[in-house]
Amino acid sequence: MERIFERDFILRALLPAIFVVFMALALVVIAYGFDTVANGVHDTFHDFRHVIGMPCH
Amino acid sequence: MGFGIRNFAVSAFLGVVWGWAAMTLNSFTYAFRYEAGFLHNIVIFTIGGAVFGIVVGGFIWLFGDLFPFKGRIPRAVAVSVFLWLLLFGGGLILSGIRPDRYHFAAYQAMQGFFLSIVLGIFFGIFLVFDRRS
Repeated sequence: MERIFERDFILRALLPAIFVVFMALALVVIAYGFDTVANGVHDTFHDFRHVIGMPCH
Repeated sequence: MGFGIRNFAVSAFLGVVWGWAAMTLNSFTYAFRYEAGFLHNIVIFTIGGAVFGIVVGGFIWLFGDLFPFKGRIPRAVAVSVFLWLLLFGGGLILSGIRPDRYHFAAYQAMQGFFLSIVLGIFFGIFLVFDRRS
């Protein structure tokens, strides 16, 4: 029973939470255009960043 | 209460719609004059909107109860605006550190703030959590 609960917890809460945190990190990289993290992200998402109001060059 | 595939799909979809709405709005306001072409931007706004949407949906799931609002729409707007302010605050700090690379633009900031409210309203209306599970 405990094992079923643990698996259920991992599938329904832990994995989605980890994925959301991962996407939040991706959003930070996109929003600030950190080329050191993902090469080319600054230029690729340049227009998007300006339109959503983030400071940029 | 979990955050299943359905909620991820709804969040991503709402984010994509919001991204296209942002692109359309900017075409009217000219807060920023596009530097890339339409085909490039439609892809980028789709990806960016989906990422933003998943994060906002996930944050509503994770932290929505921490905000002192009862209704779905006020809570979703609060999370969305809070997230945008967090990112914008970080951008302001970066512009203080590296003013050659990050510039503050008032019209774009106002547009972004407005868009974060719109995104919150989208989520407040369409993202419904199943409270039974």
